[in-house]
Amino acid sequence: MSLSTADRALKHILKRDKATREILGRLCDSSGAACAFETVDGQLLWGSEEVFEHTRDLTHEDKVLGKFRYSSDKALLIFDTLKLLFQKEWEKKKIGKEVLGLYREINMIYDLSELISEKIDAESIAKVTLEEASQIIDMTHALFLIYDAEKDTVIQIARLGENPKSEAFIEQQKDVLKELITRGVSAIVPAERIAKNPALKHLKTVMYAPLKVKHRTFGMVILGHEEEVEYTAAELKLLTTISLQSATAIESAHLYQKGLKEVQDREEAIRKIHDVSQKFVPSEFIKSLGKAKITEVFLGDLVEREVTVVFVDIRGFTTISEGLSPTDNFLFVNGFNNRMGPIVRKNGGFIMQYLGDGFMALFTEGSQGALTASVEMHRELQEYNKARALKERLPVRIGVGMQSGKLIMGITGDNERLDAAIISDTVNTAARIEGLSKHFGTSILLTQECKANLTDPGQFDFRYLGRVQPKGKKQPIDLYECINGDAEDLQNHKLSNLKTFDDAMTLFLDKEFAMAAVTFQQIFKSNIEDQPAKLFLNRAAQLITQEIEDNWKGVETMTTK
Amino acid sequence: MDKKLLIVDDEAHIRMLIEQTLEDLEDEGVELLFADNGADALRIIQEERPNLVFLDVMMPKMNGMEVCQKVKKELNITETYIILLTAKGQEVDRQKGLDMGANKYMTKPFDPDEMLSIAEEILNL
Repeated sequence: MSLSTADRALKHILKRDKATREILGRLCDSSGAACAFETVDGQLLWGSEEVFEHTRDLTHEDKVLGKFRYSSDKALLIFDTLKLLFQKEWEKKKIGKEVLGLYREINMIYDLSELISEKIDAESIAKVTLEEASQIIDMTHALFLIYDAEKDTVIQIARLGENPKSEAFIEQQKDVLKELITRGVSAIVPAERIAKNPALKHLKTVMYAPLKVKHRTFGMVILGHEEEVEYTAAELKLLTTISLQSATAIESAHLYQKGLKEVQDREEAIRKIHDVSQKFVPSEFIKSLGKAKITEVFLGDLVEREVTVVFVDIRGFTTISEGLSPTDNFLFVNGFNNRMGPIVRKNGGFIMQYLGDGFMALFTEGSQGALTASVEMHRELQEYNKARALKERLPVRIGVGMQSGKLIMGITGDNERLDAAIISDTVNTAARIEGLSKHFGTSILLTQECKANLTDPGQFDFRYLGRVQPKGKKQPIDLYECINGDAEDLQNHKLSNLKTFDDAMTLFLDKEFAMAAVTFQQIFKSNIEDQPAKLFLNRAAQLITQEIEDNWKGVETMTTK
Repeated sequence: MDKKLLIVDDEAHIRMLIEQTLEDLEDEGVELLFADNGADALRIIQEERPNLVFLDVMMPKMNGMEVCQKVKKELNITETYIILLTAKGQEVDRQKGLDMGANKYMTKPFDPDEMLSIAEEILNL
């Protein structure tokens, strides 16, 4: 067990302090008085070991600390000096103890402020506050209560000590607590009031302090002890200081959370805008420019890419739309786009632009995906048309034209208005090819460059359709028809006549027009839906009677777009 | 042999606080010594060879760093364990103090419980 302050003071002057011992020794020598001092249990603290006749008790606050033993009254001056020195030392130690107590409080408040400054939510701040307070204020129970004005309820956000009924009592005594919180004062609860309150039945001592920021009180801290420890005014003051500090921290945390929420809301709004804008400007386009987000894009950004451009056109759109109201027309186009878009994306492409009665799609990973998508779009429409037929609606047919080549993707416009743009001859050519597919009556038409670009051409079946010089183009283009998008019957017909058609084309290009016409007619007769066969039959038939230049290479020059 | 502990600080209340904090050690037979300036501290260290010194850094005349350097580097007194005490926010001096030969650092305001347990540990109590 540690010694009392008085025992320590006595021990200090008689045993530890060399200077005091020396003075007392000299006093003994000069006065010729012999004396000694021993503790209550007979331990000699200072002086001679001889046996003395007289004793005097050294008492402090009604407690005997030890015995002063002496030979004659001459030694009483030494006893008085001893008493005085003891008194001074005791006072010094008492002050030291108080100062240390205050120092501990300052330390705790210092620690608390450091700990709560790291917390950003009220619950953590409340928890730390109670834990720290319990280090310095003797307590077995504590509650950290907040008044929620919106819900008109008092909430316990932290607790120390077990009390299973605490929440029920808080609800029951809501009005009393509200009243206490509103009053915003600190107090030590008188014992008789504790005894009368069933909610405080488990406690003998209770005090509380408000959680206050400026003049607004939003909660309180209540703490207590199962034993009668009797809180002092100093402890109440300490609790008030702690609560005040905690309240400020909670207020800051609240402001921080509010700020954080605003930032999150803003970010959410930006994300939504980003999501929507991505639908207007395809994310693949942004990515192709080497950017992660549309917000990183600037006027003048551009990149050159090798792409396959696919133009899809709804055939006979005017006929279909004639029978529809403008709204239904719009719905029809949207329905169509909804079916086609996923097929494009599934095959690695993206829709660059909607064109009213069709669209333009870009494929940046070669033409294999582009052609696969084109075939699948035809198949999807064949299914769709079965459903339309049941509702007696006109079938929807499309023509597809493709070209592969270089393309510049970039951001064009001015400072006020930006747009994703592509500039390329490849795009113009692809558009022309799609136009030619109408002329040839093919479902999918592609160029030599596009076919050469396929990674697995064996997946498809082609017919060579000769060379064409589109309007405004200098170089003639070799064209191929991909037959896999045709209706089943027509596809089977073309498949079984692949070799014959090739032979007919060779005859045609060799200027053997009569033979070519016969062969094309043979093909056409077996299926009158074979439009290219019909077209070449007519051309060959025409050329039989015409004068042909020596350098004729079968290039068809288009005079319309 | 009795153990000795020297408390060096120019502020009387800090000396009192440390004394109060460490008073239990006296019951274990540790003698507490005091100095209120660097020069006295140096003299006491040389004469008494305390086992442990709590040495304030910021003192007039000879500061704690200098005392530490003289004790550890010039006088080569290695057996005395020196803990430098510095105000919070001056931790930048930490490395400098350790370079001067200090064994440990504590910041003020110090935690009394921590100070007592460190002293007990160093004095093998």
